[in-house]
Amino acid sequence: MQDGTLPRAIAITVARLLVGYAIALIVGVPLGTALARSRVAKQAIGPIVLGLSSVPSICWLPLAILWFGLSELAIQLVVVLGAALPIAVATENSVRHVTPSIERAARTMGADGARLMLTVTLPAALPGILGGAKIGWTFALRSLMAGELLFVSGGLGQLLETGRDLGDTALVLGVVVVIVILGRLSEVLLFSRVDRAVARRWGVEDA
Amino acid sequence: MFTFAKAWVEDRSSALRAVTSSLPPSRSSIPPSRSGASVALEDVCLSVRADEGAVEILRQATLRVSAGEFICLLGPSGSGKSTILNLIAGLARPTSGHVRFGTAPVTKPGPERAVVFQDAALFPWLTLRDNIEFPLKLQHLPADARRARSEELLRLVHLWRFQDRYPHELSGGMRQRGAIARALATDPAVLLMDEPFAALDSQTREILQGEVERIWSATRKTVIFVTHNVREAVRLADRIVLMGTRPGRVLHDEYVDLPRPRAANDARVAALSTGIARRIASEVEKVAREEADDAWVAPGDHHPGDPRRQLGRGI
Repeated sequence: MQDGTLPRAIAITVARLLVGYAIALIVGVPLGTALARSRVAKQAIGPIVLGLSSVPSICWLPLAILWFGLSELAIQLVVVLGAALPIAVATENSVRHVTPSIERAARTMGADGARLMLTVTLPAALPGILGGAKIGWTFALRSLMAGELLFVSGGLGQLLETGRDLGDTALVLGVVVVIVILGRLSEVLLFSRVDRAVARRWGVEDA
Repeated sequence: MFTFAKAWVEDRSSALRAVTSSLPPSRSSIPPSRSGASVALEDVCLSVRADEGAVEILRQATLRVSAGEFICLLGPSGSGKSTILNLIAGLARPTSGHVRFGTAPVTKPGPERAVVFQDAALFPWLTLRDNIEFPLKLQHLPADARRARSEELLRLVHLWRFQDRYPHELSGGMRQRGAIARALATDPAVLLMDEPFAALDSQTREILQGEVERIWSATRKTVIFVTHNVREAVRLADRIVLMGTRPGRVLHDEYVDLPRPRAANDARVAALSTGIARRIASEVEKVAREEADDAWVAPGDHHPGDPRRQLGRGI
């Protein structure tokens, strides 16, 4: 590992994960909000979203390869689909269950439209959205690993595959340990602080 | 006893005035204290579509509230009390008829008509102080003016010490006081209170009734207070609007001409409450009958019981 294969593989995987996850959040939260608030959106794409979210996202890889070739885009499509759908479903649920009087109170103070959504509805739905975001993160990681295993990609997944090709059990197990550490680290760095803030504000019972 | 209570309230309200006047007017774009405005409902009907066809929520309600008046809407559930509040707040639109605020028709919610909800509806992700400043932020008030205003309000409702707490860290009564402070933040002309104390224990409820009376005396805002509690209505209101149910409608007005401050256990309050309770008993019973099964017997009905226990009675 002195040749820098491992650090490079980690860097590639982490970068992919962060980009894909960011896109998933940018797609998933508005999509979930639209599903919760617009009857048209709910009737038009609600069943599709629910249906697709039960499909393991790796199933999209063959199609993604057909469309985009063996490219970064193909693998990102899998990651984004894997993470965005659970985020959207959780967002829809929590926006739908925001206490009505909270929004009504905000409306009597003169908040409406986008401002109501951004300053009241989404913050009120935050604990639920956060739950979805955590699920989305693990889905993104899983999709990415599966994707990387399946084609030449330079990430940790490919390193696993290399280990198998060489019959190098130590390498395979080593990479698995790295992935475990990565998962824990992301939990600590990304979510624990937000979790604590939510627990402090909402009280422990909801966090 | 009575003079003591009066002196106490005068003391409190002069302290309140001192707080209000200490606010530097140049720093706030909101006039220091705007007193009430009139509100009117004219022949307002409201129906909603349901599975079994249109359901009439409110039939031909006409109601005039003059500026600075304290009225209570009193009636059983389903009498459209909260609906009237929502109509005035602009959270609901009438099927027919007109809702007016001053002379202008009500078309949408606005900060000049503030609402206090039964569950307080404080924002859980904001501290008490940020909750009170939230409506001021919506009005783009500069930060120092917001701080001055929220400080004044926190002191008004005696929650200054708790300004940095989150709503879940406060008791029900404190949350409700916070909600009142938030409603007062934009200095509304009308304060709409939707059963604000219904979920509180009776001691807290009495204390808060006193607070509302005190704040109303000091600010002279128009207050429309929804309750199903007869004593609460008699304790607080200048005028009680009795409401009937199935469909919701305005029955008639009852003027309460008792000196303030009133105590809930005052004999005159109790006597008037009993009279009003009798007047709306048939409406309350109507709801109870619908919500219970056939074995239910109205309290007024004669219930013979076991005839053996009646032996010798009436001799």
